[in-house]
Amino acid sequence: MLPDDLLSCSVAGALVVPHFLGEHDHPWLRALLEEHERFIGRPQRELEARLREPLPCESPPKKLRLAIQVLGRLRPSHRKTAVPPRRARALVFGEAARWPALPQTILSVVAASLGVTPEDLRDSLFGDLPSERLVGAPLQPLSAVELALRCNLALVQALLFRATIVRIEVEGNTRALVRQAKWRGLICSGIERSGTADATLELSGPFALFRNTRLYGRALGELVPPLTWCPRFRLRAECVFHGRRLTLQLRTGDPIFPASAPRRYDSHLEERFAREFRRLAPAWDVLLEPEPITAGGTLIFPDFALQHRSDLGRRWLLEIVGFWTPDYVARKLALYRSARLSNLILCIDEGRNCAEADLPAGALVVRFRRRVDAAGVLRMVETTHCPR
Amino acid sequence: MKLRFDRGTILLTDPPQDLNLTEAPGLLWDPRVHAHRAPASRYTALKRWLLEGGVRFQDVTPPLRPIAEAWSDVDLRPYQEAALSAWELGHHRGVIALPTGSGKTRLALAAMHRTQLSALCLVPTRVLLDQWLREIRVVYGGAVGCYGDGMRQLAPLTVATFESAYRHMDQFGDRFGLLIVDEVHHFGGGLRDEALEMTVADARLGLTATPPRDAGAAACLAELVGPTVFELAVADLAGGFLASLDAITLYLDLTPEERSAYTSLAAVFNGVYTDFCRMAPEASWADFTRHSTRTAEGRRALSAWRQMRRLLFFTHAKRRALESLLGRHRNSRVLIFTADNETAYAIAREHLVMPLTCDIGRQERDDVLERFRRGDIRTLVSARVLNEGLDVPDADVAVIVGGALGEREHVQRVGRLLRPSEGKRAVVYELVTRNTIEVGQARRRRQGLVTRRSAQL
Repeated sequence: MLPDDLLSCSVAGALVVPHFLGEHDHPWLRALLEEHERFIGRPQRELEARLREPLPCESPPKKLRLAIQVLGRLRPSHRKTAVPPRRARALVFGEAARWPALPQTILSVVAASLGVTPEDLRDSLFGDLPSERLVGAPLQPLSAVELALRCNLALVQALLFRATIVRIEVEGNTRALVRQAKWRGLICSGIERSGTADATLELSGPFALFRNTRLYGRALGELVPPLTWCPRFRLRAECVFHGRRLTLQLRTGDPIFPASAPRRYDSHLEERFAREFRRLAPAWDVLLEPEPITAGGTLIFPDFALQHRSDLGRRWLLEIVGFWTPDYVARKLALYRSARLSNLILCIDEGRNCAEADLPAGALVVRFRRRVDAAGVLRMVETTHCPR
Repeated sequence: MKLRFDRGTILLTDPPQDLNLTEAPGLLWDPRVHAHRAPASRYTALKRWLLEGGVRFQDVTPPLRPIAEAWSDVDLRPYQEAALSAWELGHHRGVIALPTGSGKTRLALAAMHRTQLSALCLVPTRVLLDQWLREIRVVYGGAVGCYGDGMRQLAPLTVATFESAYRHMDQFGDRFGLLIVDEVHHFGGGLRDEALEMTVADARLGLTATPPRDAGAAACLAELVGPTVFELAVADLAGGFLASLDAITLYLDLTPEERSAYTSLAAVFNGVYTDFCRMAPEASWADFTRHSTRTAEGRRALSAWRQMRRLLFFTHAKRRALESLLGRHRNSRVLIFTADNETAYAIAREHLVMPLTCDIGRQERDDVLERFRRGDIRTLVSARVLNEGLDVPDADVAVIVGGALGEREHVQRVGRLLRPSEGKRAVVYELVTRNTIEVGQARRRRQGLVTRRSAQL
């Protein structure tokens, strides 16, 4: 995480405003990338020494340090030595302790025993240290635009590191966001559907009641990459900077590097069902991540909606209760019971041992073993009246 | 009513309707989950409050206890016994400050043995993780858990690095009754304090050679672990339970070229710093650095300051003095301390002595220390790695070429030489450059060796 002195931002009233790197920064970012390019194959320490000096074009000092830090994380390095460095150290320093002689003499003696030159041996001594490793080319070509976006992501995450609570209005990809939050131990509360947004999520760590913690600040920061895949979002975070409470705001279109695309399915089980159902039922659409359902003060996310193409009133929500813990199944079923849905299909793994009494009233139930029977589900939706 | 450990906190659910919880210690209403919540560190106070009020409740799952029969006796020296008694009298909470080499780990083992509680020992580095695991296994025959360095095993006695505790305390903070924090001065500054707040352990023992002098940090540490209950300095034990020590300061000169460069840099720095001090006489160094980064002139001053310090790290005279000292103590076990890794590597190259830095891997480091113990290697050079905790039993000469962290660092470095042995007389050489900032720095850091505060019970 970035240290305080790399946080390129300003305070305006009660807001903390990140100074995003943009088009105006591209010239010096290009110069930075060119400098890096020039040092490929040379020791890291030489590059570091060069980067302590100004670039050929003007560059804002704080943003430059941020970019150097981010670039450093993306920069691979490797070593190439005549003798494995650890072996070289063991032999040379052991020999030096054994008898009093000039360093050059000791290097010559050890080098001769290894069949290399004293210069090669000297270079090998610390060839594996970070400063001595050779600068490598990035794994994929890196443009000034991408570097700027990656810097912005690092900046935003570092600001959220100081956050106590985050409120996000979000449209699309909500499920992935909630999953990520829960996986990191955050509490999703005050969840509701509002306006045009699919949901408004309030996310915070358990300790937020008392103070901000770095542990959950980090978890809040990790929400940003999946957030960038939401078609629309608006984020407000309450952060603490040097004892002062400030608000950070982000929204769709902010220049932040996106995470890799989220997985479309939670499991192979779901993926297989969707594939088979699409093949068997050309008259039906299988919609991933349908609208969330409000239940028990929270939101639940059915796995699929099955939508008839010509009769929009025939719409079923489908949940696959697969490889979950008994506690999780119990909580999930309780939520579905409280939601009182009349168009719900529950596909339940027989291994879950769900009693009939635990199932939501009115839900259609398909029991399965290993794979969900897509044909069975199709028969069910074709033959059952769908309440509107 | 039920108490439950929830990610570093205690959740209180289903309280009786007539119970007024507004006075309950640490407890707040959490509207997110519709229940009351307290930091895990307030668990014991909360439980006591409930019991005193005669409230019946289902408690958190009690932690497993270590096997009583698996313990061997842990003998203590008189001052260790006194320190442990002070901690016991302080209701099993508090910090014990003893010089390096005086057996703080042994004291911790005795605390674990006597309390028979499940214990979590937090240590700052992976090197110390191994060291603590070894020490515990000598006196405890049961399973010992380890969190850190790629390991994730819990047991009634577990050792974890600070970093692992910070990352995982929300998951295992309810498993221990005793929390032992080695090098506890790392806490109290806010950054990782949350790890100590996320555990229910009521008994807490902090160990350090250098308790924080800053009032804010000391107060914070007293809240998290307890006050300093016992303290001895190097001077109290040297020559008896610790080796005798000669501290020799060698005052050295800069070359004319170095002096000229130093004077120019000092002029740039002093101009800005003097103005700042006049403008804000009460301000701290941190205030100055924050202030300076806002202007080009300030940034130049800070840059000049860093260059001045770098210039002093390994001057020409220090080079020559070090060469001479290494020749003179060729048959001793010598530790060389530098201000930064760069200087450590420069010395390693020039004199062919083994560097021990954060860049050297764990296996190699263990191997090097073993060779140093055997005498196959007689000199090590390090910037920080040798500062803290590491058990280097037989070193008898230290050369302090440069330091970056002041009094605390100095006490820890000198402590590397203090493990006693028959007829041992350790020597510490400090290389200090005349008429530079190093003179004041050296004077301040030496204070730590003689300062002692009495036990506070």
